Amino acid sequence: MRDGATIDTPPLAQAAKKRGGLFRKYIVLFVAVVCVALLSNGLLEIYFSYQELTASLIRLQREQADAAAAKLAQFIDEIQNQLGWTTQLPWSPGSVEQRRFDALRLLRQVPAITELALLDASGHEQLHVSRLAMDVIGSNLDLSKQPAFTEAIAHKVYYGPVYFRRESEPYMTLALAGTRRENGVAIAEVNLKLIWDVVSQIKVGEHGDAYVVDGHGRLIAHPDISLVLRNTDMSKLAQVNAALHAADDPQIEPVQVGDDIQGRKVLTAYALVAPLGWFVFVELPVAEANAPIYGSIARSSILLLAALALACLAGLFLARRMVGPIRALQLGAARFGGGDLKQRIAVKTGDELELLSDQFNDMGARLEESYADLERKVDSRTRELAQSVEELRALGEVSQAVNSTLDLTALLATIVAKAAQLSGTEAGAIYVYDEDRGEFRLRATHGMSKALIDAIASEHIDLQDTTIGLAALHRAPIQLPDLNDAPRTAIQEAILNAGFRALLVVPLLRPEHIVGALVIRRRAPGNFTKATIDLLETFASQSVLAIQNARLFSEIEEKGHQLEIASQHKSQFLANMSHELRTPLNAILGYTELMLDEIYGAVPERMHGVLDRIQSNGRHLLGLINDVLDLSKIEAGQVTLSIADYSLEDVLQGVFVALESLARDKEIALQLDVPVALPKARGDERRMKQVLLNLVGNAIKFTERGSILVAAEKQGEFFAILVRDTGPGIAVEEREKIFEEFHQADNSATKGKSGTGLGLAIAKRIVELHGGRIWVESELGQGSTFFVSIPVNADVKLEHA
Amino acid sequence: MSKRILVVEDHEDNRQILRDLLASGGFDMIEAENGAEAIAAAEANRPDLILMDIQLPIVDGYEATRRIKANPALKAIPIIVVTSYALSGDEEKARLAGCDDYVTKPFSPRQLLAKIRQYAS
Repeated sequence: MRDGATIDTPPLAQAAKKRGGLFRKYIVLFVAVVCVALLSNGLLEIYFSYQELTASLIRLQREQADAAAAKLAQFIDEIQNQLGWTTQLPWSPGSVEQRRFDALRLLRQVPAITELALLDASGHEQLHVSRLAMDVIGSNLDLSKQPAFTEAIAHKVYYGPVYFRRESEPYMTLALAGTRRENGVAIAEVNLKLIWDVVSQIKVGEHGDAYVVDGHGRLIAHPDISLVLRNTDMSKLAQVNAALHAADDPQIEPVQVGDDIQGRKVLTAYALVAPLGWFVFVELPVAEANAPIYGSIARSSILLLAALALACLAGLFLARRMVGPIRALQLGAARFGGGDLKQRIAVKTGDELELLSDQFNDMGARLEESYADLERKVDSRTRELAQSVEELRALGEVSQAVNSTLDLTALLATIVAKAAQLSGTEAGAIYVYDEDRGEFRLRATHGMSKALIDAIASEHIDLQDTTIGLAALHRAPIQLPDLNDAPRTAIQEAILNAGFRALLVVPLLRPEHIVGALVIRRRAPGNFTKATIDLLETFASQSVLAIQNARLFSEIEEKGHQLEIASQHKSQFLANMSHELRTPLNAILGYTELMLDEIYGAVPERMHGVLDRIQSNGRHLLGLINDVLDLSKIEAGQVTLSIADYSLEDVLQGVFVALESLARDKEIALQLDVPVALPKARGDERRMKQVLLNLVGNAIKFTERGSILVAAEKQGEFFAILVRDTGPGIAVEEREKIFEEFHQADNSATKGKSGTGLGLAIAKRIVELHGGRIWVESELGQGSTFFVSIPVNADVKLEHA
Repeated sequence: MSKRILVVEDHEDNRQILRDLLASGGFDMIEAENGAEAIAAAEANRPDLILMDIQLPIVDGYEATRRIKANPALKAIPIIVVTSYALSGDEEKARLAGCDDYVTKPFSPRQLLAKIRQYAS
């Protein structure tokens, strides 16, 4: 078992590794806690033991220094004491021998004193005893100026500076004054070798040592004699300096750690040799003093390392115990999230994590269940949807067929087939009701045998006593769930014999009318569902539409056919009429012209006028015939424009030339205003000329005085042409009507004006054929302006039309 | 010798007008009242010009024109169709049948005479 969990999904594991600092965090935290505890403990311990050690060492050193100082003080005291005896008595000449005796005894008793000089009160040497020289008595050397004498007199006792004999022996002069002045002064040379011994005997650690300095900081005794002989000044050392000034200033703390003369760090302590003002220093190198501390540090470090290793291992173990299951949970959750609902998370830690994993698994199981449920629902809905889509598609097809197919038989066959298919039945039929004969006739079938079709077709199905008739009368579907239970009719017998047990009849209805019936038959007995009935009703309404459409279409077709024949008749009639009218007209005009040409002899003046009238009226009649023919051809769509490039300016010039004389006859000014650079037009030149001839001709015809302006210009893609006259004008209510057939503005001005009344109607149609527009602006009594707007390129407009 | 003009026309008044017109113009006139007569008259008389109506009994003007123009001996005779068929396409049909010119009724006798002179001089 690995951490109570099994995980084997590399991709997820990688993802976990990428994100999962939990494991690392655990270990780091654990190790950090252990390390901090151990480290702080070790550091505190080391610090305090260092403090303690230093303090105890200093204490020890001070004790040693005190002891040495005491020893030195005692030594000096001893000598001083002994020396005191020699100054007990006042000087007198008789006492020299006695004194000498005392001095020699002193030398014997006190080996440190090598010489002794006794001075009288005036400072003259009276006796000098020495271990090395002969005794001198009464030398009377004047030593009154010597510091030994003066100091001793002043301070009772004098300690001279240390000096050396034979470069190795330290000596000091010690002078003591008598209690009374006349007792004189004893000056002893004291061998200080003892100090050496004392100093040398002090053992401080391995490398520590002791030394003595005088009140000025000069070295007096030191294990290294050479230093002493060199008269080394120790006052520059911090600890010595502090000690020298401590007497003056009690504020000064003794220095505990300082440098020794060799520059080593040392723990230092000192003691004052009171009478001499000397200092005994005991020093131990810090390195040596701290050796136990270093040991302690090393031990602590080893302990720390060991603890670290242990912490690592423990952290690793604990982290795995903790993180492993969490990671298993995380991967499991990720796999649940990824859709793998079948997996189960295996965490057997027996704690909350296992509970959590159980809950996860439980959730997965429930999710799986609800997914399965959802899928089942989706499946079911999908099936329903597919069914609906199928129905819609079938209805769409039927609907499309109804709107595009006019073959009613095929259409109804399609409808009944789809109805049977979608309702899950085996057969179906559509009956159409013949209102005249009052019976239903089979019109389309599906899934029915020929025998059954024949059997049904041979029967008379009316509104009474038949299922179909009842459904139609009640205007509601009727179903027979089992034909065995229904009253037997010949038709139902035949149906039952054909193997069908259930049927559903849906009437085909229109308001107030019965159109027919849609029937489906099923081999299995049983009720038809509401959905099936609804579906069938939809098919029924489509069938009604189809039947209606077919009827309407056949009516329209019939009407169209009749119209076509009528149109043909009309065309033929017009052609015949034109011909039949022209033939007599030809005779009338022909004879008239021949008579006017005096083929038949001279014509009297009066008759000339009559003949002119005949000719004029004949021509008018011809114009009428031509216009009627033209208009009817245009209306019949028999006129197509002959599209070609032409010059509108040329057309206008042609019109101008043709009508100029007419205008001149009426003394009306005819003006033409056309820009020089009018572009080529495209359209039917002859027809456009016809239009403009008509407009300008009308203007001349209706204008009695004034002028007529014909102008044209290009406006965008159009030519704008206007014909302006100063005629009687056209009333508002007439302005639209004048473009209708056989309509002339009805006012006095038009009375007696010859005209067919078709010219503007034809002009309007021609302009519109070009894709243009014609209209009039006018004011009664002020004249009229006819506007024509035609596309520069009529081709384009026709294509767009 | 004056030129001979064959007039094919079933309408008496119109024949009379042409009679008067051609006489005034100094032409001889041969008459036919239908297409069949026209073909026969053309073959028999070899006129200098034929004025042909279209709507004729028995054989119509188109057919008569076609037959005359199909006859190598007669095809050089100019034929002017004079008809009351004034619908678009009528002239085209006549031209296809082989006529040389086309005049619609009602015609101006003066103008027709000018045209006759143009073809038969």
